[in-house]
Amino acid sequence: MKSPWSRLKSWIRSVSRGKRLEADMEAEIRFHLEARAADLVREGLGPSEAMRQARLEFGTVAAHKDAMRSSLGLRWWDQLGEDLRYGFRILRKSPGFTSIAVASLALAIGANTTIFSVANEMLLENLGVPHPGQLRLLTMGGDAKVVIHMIWGDADQLPDPQHQNQLVRYDGFTYPVYQQLRANNHVLQDLFAFKSLGRVNVTVNGAAQTADAQLVSGNFYQQMQVQPVLGRSILPSDDGAPGSGTVAVISDGFWSRAFGRSPAVLGKVIDVDMTPVTIVGVNSRSFSGAESVQQSPDLFMPLSTMPLFRAPFGDSKPVLASTQLYWLQVMARARPGLSDEQARASLDVALEAAVRATTTIKKGDTLPHIRVESGSKGLNYIAHQYAKPLYVLLVMVGAVLLMACANMANLMLARSSARQREMSVRLALGAGRSRVLRQVLTESLLLSFMGGIIGLLLGYLCRSALPHLIAKAWDYSDMEVPFNWKVFTFTATITIGTGILFGILPAWAATRAEIGTALKQSAQTASRRRRAWNGKGIVAFQIGVSTVLVIAAWLFLRTLINLNSVDPGFAVDHLVLFEIDAPSLRYPAPKDVAMHARLEEALSAVPGVEGVTASDAPLLVGMQMITGFHVEGTPEVELSPSPEDMNKFPRAADVGTDFISVMKIPMVAGRAFTRQDTETSAKVAIINQALAKRFFPHQNPIGKRFSAGPTAKDTKWIEIVGVCADTRYDALRNNPPPMHFGLYRQQPEMGGLTYIVRTPMKAEAIVPSLRAAVQRIDSNLPLLDLRTQRQQIDDDLQQERIFASLSTGFGLLALALACVGIYGIMAYTVAQRTNEIGIRLALGARRGQVRGMVLRESGWLAVAGVAVGILVALGLGRLVESLLYGVKATDPLSVLGASLLLLAVALSSGWIPARRASRLEPMDALRHE
Amino acid sequence: MAKQVDLMQGTLEMLILKAVSLGKLHGYGVLLRIQQISGEQLVIQQGSLYPALYRLEHEGAIKSEWGESENNRRAKYYSLTAAGRKQLADETEKWNRMAGIIGSILQLTTAENKS
Repeated sequence: MKSPWSRLKSWIRSVSRGKRLEADMEAEIRFHLEARAADLVREGLGPSEAMRQARLEFGTVAAHKDAMRSSLGLRWWDQLGEDLRYGFRILRKSPGFTSIAVASLALAIGANTTIFSVANEMLLENLGVPHPGQLRLLTMGGDAKVVIHMIWGDADQLPDPQHQNQLVRYDGFTYPVYQQLRANNHVLQDLFAFKSLGRVNVTVNGAAQTADAQLVSGNFYQQMQVQPVLGRSILPSDDGAPGSGTVAVISDGFWSRAFGRSPAVLGKVIDVDMTPVTIVGVNSRSFSGAESVQQSPDLFMPLSTMPLFRAPFGDSKPVLASTQLYWLQVMARARPGLSDEQARASLDVALEAAVRATTTIKKGDTLPHIRVESGSKGLNYIAHQYAKPLYVLLVMVGAVLLMACANMANLMLARSSARQREMSVRLALGAGRSRVLRQVLTESLLLSFMGGIIGLLLGYLCRSALPHLIAKAWDYSDMEVPFNWKVFTFTATITIGTGILFGILPAWAATRAEIGTALKQSAQTASRRRRAWNGKGIVAFQIGVSTVLVIAAWLFLRTLINLNSVDPGFAVDHLVLFEIDAPSLRYPAPKDVAMHARLEEALSAVPGVEGVTASDAPLLVGMQMITGFHVEGTPEVELSPSPEDMNKFPRAADVGTDFISVMKIPMVAGRAFTRQDTETSAKVAIINQALAKRFFPHQNPIGKRFSAGPTAKDTKWIEIVGVCADTRYDALRNNPPPMHFGLYRQQPEMGGLTYIVRTPMKAEAIVPSLRAAVQRIDSNLPLLDLRTQRQQIDDDLQQERIFASLSTGFGLLALALACVGIYGIMAYTVAQRTNEIGIRLALGARRGQVRGMVLRESGWLAVAGVAVGILVALGLGRLVESLLYGVKATDPLSVLGASLLLLAVALSSGWIPARRASRLEPMDALRHE
Repeated sequence: MAKQVDLMQGTLEMLILKAVSLGKLHGYGVLLRIQQISGEQLVIQQGSLYPALYRLEHEGAIKSEWGESENNRRAKYYSLTAAGRKQLADETEKWNRMAGIIGSILQLTTAENKS
């Protein structure tokens, strides 16, 4: 029977042993001829006559060999080989065309794969747990009068324009409220809770390092429905009495980093902020906890360990017992059959009861309301932070994809028109239509695959580069973007599909025409007009897209330049920054303040140090500390966490004595801090000019007193002793806010401080002696986040730099493609109109007129494209407005500049064809075919 | 010598199968055997024998191996596979039925013409 299996085997054998097969066929035929000749000799013919006769009887050897090959199913294989050889030859003959097509494809595919993979990972990926869609995050919304006064977590303004009272979203609950909610919840599955401790100091085998720690409720793993790959998870029995349950499950990343993936990690005891903790399990690689999809905490420990890591703060009750501090993040899985609205309504009642039961509600206080949000992506900080820049990048990279598609279409169109006659000849010589189409298809595919493979490499290599660009240079980051095959397939399909479509369509049309007409048709006849117009449409489109990209590049470059030329208000060079945390259990207030003072002293004695100071809110690190501001003798204003209040009140920092001189901030009036300002002397402050202007217009602020607490009653008055010049505060892009500096020595507590060391030495050179000085005070204190102020500023400008470089790159790429497009279409038009131009010249047209005619045509193309581009750019402007600095999205100069640039590019790429047209000799042109 | 006839379309493969069913043969041997059995009445395009042989081998009806010929030359020998034997039986049966049907139809037509 004709089994497909035996055919396949035979086919593979034939293909894989091409040379052998050829030799075998040769030998078999030779044997036949010789055997026949021998028989003929036996019948009486002469040897040479016999051989001739044998050959005659056999027939054409080559034709039979071909038939034998096609018997083996090798026909299309052979033809493919021919097509490929021919295709390669054609592509090699026009290296310019080939490299442009391949490069634009590769760049578009690579860039799109990269950006879309990153966006997918950051915006769309769910937590690595079973059924992440069931997860719900519980938060609260409260108005300005809400009973929540103390939070450890996030408070964001809710987008709710029609509301009179601005609503604020709080993402944390008090522990007692959580417990009551959990007990009274019948609408979601069991509630579970977690809280990031942030960075902790961990000692593994005597070596100190930092790790991210998270505390989770005992039912966390049950409800997340995940099991560790090694050991056990945290169990309800671990989360018992406060202070108990010192066990940890570690992440896959931390397992690799600190233990080299050794299975002996189970049962190991490590010191976490000086508390011994036993490792009981290792998480799988895909599980990143409940907070973020991208990055997993290193350690998961039961909530019951909270008192071991955090001293009481706020209302001086332990964190777990506090009824004032809202801090605990709560999630749950949805119950099948119950809508979120039903759950919300029921939980809202439970929340009200819980808050009333645990807090005394003063007159005028309002109660928060529960919100049931999607928890499939955890708290989703990354999406909040990067959604907008990513969308802008997606638009830009999408534009590049469009450009590459247009370019591919354009190139293929121009090529197939140029090859129309070749196709007609092939058809006339008897090639089947499908055979000709296959040849064209092979060529398109060849180009596409070359582009696709390079694009694949680019995308693969770049996919992790972007998150690394975003990450801080001095910080450890294990965020990994998996290569996204879906995205790659999508972009590759679009670009390659375009290439194939625009390669095959004209060929299809060409092969449909009567053979004769195409052969007879020469440059004199019409019918090219519409095709040329198609090409021009594509070119105008390319110019439009380029305009958008060039305007974007212009805006982002100006933003970066503007930011770089911002004067931060202090001398940023030769500053080394690092943090020292005073763990609250080892250094309970006010021991921490004393320790910092001792450290400051010790560091300033290190050789090579010009000056040392410290701050709890260092400049330009993206950190803001907002205080109340109540001037003595004026009516008191209470500070609430609503964003509106946040903008009214001044920023602050608690600094070391020498802050002003070390940072080289000019003093405007009064005095700087001195050694006479101590813990026991009167509290003093230095304000900046912006604060003086806002709160003391036309007055001398020196000697005035204010209080900075959230409520004015219980704070001591602080005396203003000096006014300094304005400095940028949290970031370069924000104008100097009103701010006041206090002395950290005069604060009751001061957990962690950022130290600022001014030194003429290189950072690497001085760090060892700084570290030694710190170790002499306390050998358990690591220097964290070591960097220079310059690095810090570079990090602050990271996003702007990425935008500027990517958009410039995309803009240049687009310009280059547009250039090629215009040149191609004009050169093609000129070639097609050679006869017509010859006639014009013969009839007396001046060469300048001919040149002008061609240039005018490319000029109109450009004008049309630019006009459309500007409209689109203005439309998209709103999207980028918040990403710009010192320049408006509708900045006329940028728009004008980009338009002029594109017009210039269009005219100069039209120049060569125009000159060629004007230099035609009329007689040659008329004879031109 | 009897009058030679051209081979009917599609029958060459059946003849090849029959020829090799009687024993291992090289290509030239297949040609000789068919001519010999047919009493030199069939004309076979010698060259077209090989594409047919390759097709049969490709389909798994025959298999080939290299061996020594009568005069000590290297030659490729074909023999029937189990699948080929079944194919031959099927095609022989089909041929016989076809020949019978066509034969009776032709006879009938002649009879009608006579009357």
